[in-house]
Parts: sequence; C-alpha cells; structure tokens
Amino acid sequence: MLLEPIFWSLFSLGGFITAFLFPVTLFLLFFAAPFHLWPTDPAAYSTFVGHWKEPLVRLFFFVLIGGSLFHGTHRLKFMLVDAGFKGRSAEAFLDVILNGVAIFGSLGALFYAVRGWLF
Amino acid sequence: MAGREYAWKRRPGWWLRNRRYLAFQLREAGGVVCALYGLVLLNMLIQLRAGESAYTAFLNLLRTPPVLYLNVVLFALVVWHALTWFMLIGKAQPIQFTRKPLPWKVVFGINVLLWLGVSGAVAYLIFGGI
Repeated sequence: MLLEPIFWSLFSLGGFITAFLFPVTLFLLFFAAPFHLWPTDPAAYSTFVGHWKEPLVRLFFFVLIGGSLFHGTHRLKFMLVDAGFKGRSAEAFLDVILNGVAIFGSLGALFYAVRGWLF
Repeated sequence: MAGREYAWKRRPGWWLRNRRYLAFQLREAGGVVCALYGLVLLNMLIQLRAGESAYTAFLNLLRTPPVLYLNVVLFALVVWHALTWFMLIGKAQPIQFTRKPLPWKVVFGINVLLWLGVSGAVAYLIFGGI
C-alpha cells in the first residue's frame, strides 16, 4: 500500500518513455535492416558496440528498459485482475511477481549499462 | 472506516462488445508488449556482453521470418500504444496554458510533432544517424 504511489508514478513515467522512445528504437534495431528501410544496420555488432561506448547510449537503454518494465508489468497486473485474477492474496502475489520482474530487470539493465564503463 | 466495495459487474469478453473497448484493450496489450520488448533489449545487452558470436546469433534469431513477422504485429501494438497514449494526455491532463483548456486533438497533434522530433534525435544521437 505504501509503495503503490511509487509504482503508479513509475508506470506513468514508463508510459511516456515507451511512447516517445520505443517505436523508433524498435524500428531501427529490428526492422530497418531486414526490410531495407535504412541505409545502415544500426543493430549490427560492429555498429552497436561502437555506440555502446557512449554513456548517453548506455543511459538511454537503462531508462528504456526500466521504463518499459515498470509500465508493462503494471498494465499486465490490471489486465489479469480484470480477467478474474482478483482478491487480496491474488493481487499481492501479482505485485510480488510483476514488481519483482520490473525491479530486477531494471537493476539488470543498470548493471549492464555501467559494466565496462564505471567498473 | 473501510470503504464499501462494489460488486464486479463486467462480464468476461466485455472488451469485444464494441470498437472503443477493443481499442482500449489493444492499448493495454501494447503496454504489456513494451515490457516484453524491455526483456528482449535486456537480453540483447546480455548477449552483447557475452561477445560477437552470441550477439549475432541472437540478432539472427530475431530476424528469422516467423520471429520477424511476429515482431511486426507486436510493433504495431507498440505504435498503437504510443498514439493512444498521446491521445489520452490531452484528455487526462488538460494543461491550462490558455484561458480554456486546450482541446485534446491539439494536445495530440503537439505530442505527435514532439514524438517525431524525439525520434529524429534518437536516430541521430543514439544510433548515429543515417
């Protein structure tokens, strides 16, 4: 209950992050080269590893992954509640699992973002 | 004093009853898809750390036809999620820059323009441009 406003805030922040940043990122990484819609392949190892050296790129991916996880898991919780997965214990279970995915996924993204840069 | 809980009235499949409900539920699904892509991107960073062969194998898997076309469908949901998010900003948060709140369509238009600008900046600053 105490953490609920924090998760709602992260959900809302994640909504803005995913809405503004996800379409162009997914397009460039997953569709641009296979469908020949971009002159280069932004996801190719040699290209991506070159960009990955820049702190801004690392920060970008950390924010993107964390924002999407907090946004999407919160939505999934309420979709499951809506589908009949309701009740105090069921919702507590969903909170633990889905918030756990968001928290540990974000920490994982933070780890990979700073690994090889700060340590 | 504990609040009174109202009985749950929505029937299963309520979101198939009209196009507005379906559009709403597709946006919800788009949000969940964003989390799935978050995990995909996290795995991409893990493979990047593991080395070139692991990273390239993962990228090639994403580019096999079944996964690629599944990605096209999921990408459509992500874009729908983004567009409907811009629509609801103007409805949920009417920011009062003027005497009267701005119509939601104006806020939507401003957000789409902003989105295009941000997308260009991401393509240039994060992915090195063309």
